[in-house]
Amino acid sequence: MRINFRSYTPALFGIMLLAASCAKDDAYETPTTKDQLQNDCIKRSTGPNISGGMIEFAYAMALPASRGKLVSAQVEASIAGASGTYLENNSYYYSIEQQKDVPVKIGEPSVTTGTTTVTTFTKDTMASTLRFFYQIPEEAKGKSVTFTFSAKSSNGENVSYKMGPYEISTMDMKLDLNMTDGDSTYFSVADMKVYAKNQTVDASKIDLIYMYRTSATASLKHALVSPGAPKEYLQDFVVPGGAANVTKLMKTFNLRDQQLARLQYGVFITDLDFKAVDFTNQPSYLFNLKGEGGTWVETADGKYRAYIYINKVDDAKKSMVISVKRYQVK
Amino acid sequence: MKKFVIISGLILFFAGMISSCKKNDLPVDEDGLLITTRTDCYVTNFELLGSDFQTVRSKAPVIDTALGTITQEVFYGADLKNLWPQLSLAQDCKLEPKITGKTDFSDLANPRQYTVVSGNRQIRKTYKIIITVQPK
Repeated sequence: MRINFRSYTPALFGIMLLAASCAKDDAYETPTTKDQLQNDCIKRSTGPNISGGMIEFAYAMALPASRGKLVSAQVEASIAGASGTYLENNSYYYSIEQQKDVPVKIGEPSVTTGTTTVTTFTKDTMASTLRFFYQIPEEAKGKSVTFTFSAKSSNGENVSYKMGPYEISTMDMKLDLNMTDGDSTYFSVADMKVYAKNQTVDASKIDLIYMYRTSATASLKHALVSPGAPKEYLQDFVVPGGAANVTKLMKTFNLRDQQLARLQYGVFITDLDFKAVDFTNQPSYLFNLKGEGGTWVETADGKYRAYIYINKVDDAKKSMVISVKRYQVK
Repeated sequence: MKKFVIISGLILFFAGMISSCKKNDLPVDEDGLLITTRTDCYVTNFELLGSDFQTVRSKAPVIDTALGTITQEVFYGADLKNLWPQLSLAQDCKLEPKITGKTDFSDLANPRQYTVVSGNRQIRKTYKIIITVQPK
C-alpha cells in the first residue's frame, strides 16, 4: 500500500495548533510589597450627586509592619459637607459565615472642622479601609466638588489621593414625606414640603392635594389632585381660598429611581430626564396611585418639574409616603 | 464506491443550499408584510394602556364583529387624552391607521375608528371604539 503523506496535512496542522495552544504561560510572580505607606480610593455611590443626598467613598491605606502604624486619616473637601458628613471609625471585612461586611473599630468617631474630616486611629493598625460619607450641602448645587484623602503613619510618612471633581446637580431631593388624608394633605413643589390641613399655608404654593377616597363602583383610593383641577375630581374636598394651581401630572409605574426608592434597581433620574418630559395635554389629577409607582409633575407657572416616587401606600391609615426629586426649569 | 459517496454528498449539499435560497412566492405589501390568501378579518382582543403603561380597562372589552364596535369601560379619572390602544387581530391582518403611540380618546361623542384589513388585503372591516368611563 502506498501512503499519501499529503492527505495527512490537515491532521498534522491540527496537532501543531493544539500543541501551540497548550504552551505553558510564563510563571506568575508574587509582586513585592513597596516599603512605604500607600493609599487608594474608590467612589462607591453611583448616580447623580444631589443636594440632600450622599457621596460615598472607600479610602484604603496600608504600610508594612516594619514602618510603624497608621495614626490618622483625613478628607478635605473643596466645599464643606453638610451636617451628617463623616469618615468611618470602622474598617470592614467580609465574613463568609455571616455573609455580610463586619466592622472592626479602629478609633473614635471622626471630627469635622470646616472642610476637613479627621479620624484618629486608637488601635494598632497597619492596614485599613475607611468609608467616607459626604452629605452634599445646598451651596454646592450646580458646582463641582473635589476631595483630598490623606493618611499619616507613626513614622511621619504622609500620602494623599485626589478624587473628583464631581458635578453637583441643580436638582433637589426630599425623602420620606408622609401624606395623610385629611391631615398632612398639601404638597408644595416650591417648598418641597408637605403641609397639614390646619397649618397656615400660602395658598398659591399648594400644588397638589392628597386624598384617599373609596367608592362602590370606582377605583379612587390614593389620589393626587391639583387645586385647580375640574371640580368633580376634587370630590368632597374644600380647597382653601386662593389655591387654584393647575399642576400637570404624568403617571408612571416601575420608575424606581434608586436614590428615591432605595431599592436594588440601578435607575437614576437626572437633570436631562426632567427636560425630556412632554407635559402637553397631561391631566391635573391622578387616582388609584400605587406603591412603587409615581408621577412626573410640572408646576402651574412652569418653574419647577419634579418626580414624586411613592415609597408606600397604606389603605388602612389612608396615607402614603413619597420621595421627591425636583428640577428648576426657569 | 468512496467517490460515489462524496459526489452524492456534494450534490445533496448544493441542492439543500439552493432550496433554502428559494424565493417565497407570496407578494409583500408597502409595509413589508406578506399578502397571503387568508380572508379572516376581525379583532380578537383589545387593550388600553395609560401613560404608566398599565391597563386602564375596568372591565373586559366587548367586541362586536357584526356591528363593528369595541365597547370599553375605563377607570374613573383615566386620562383619556393619553391612551395607548392595542388591538390583537386575526392572522395576517393589518390595521389602518397604524397605532404609533398615545392617542386621544377624549372626544367621547366621536369615537375613533380603526379598519382591519385581511391577509389577502381584499376584505376591510371598520371598528368603532366606544369608550365609557366607570361611574363614581
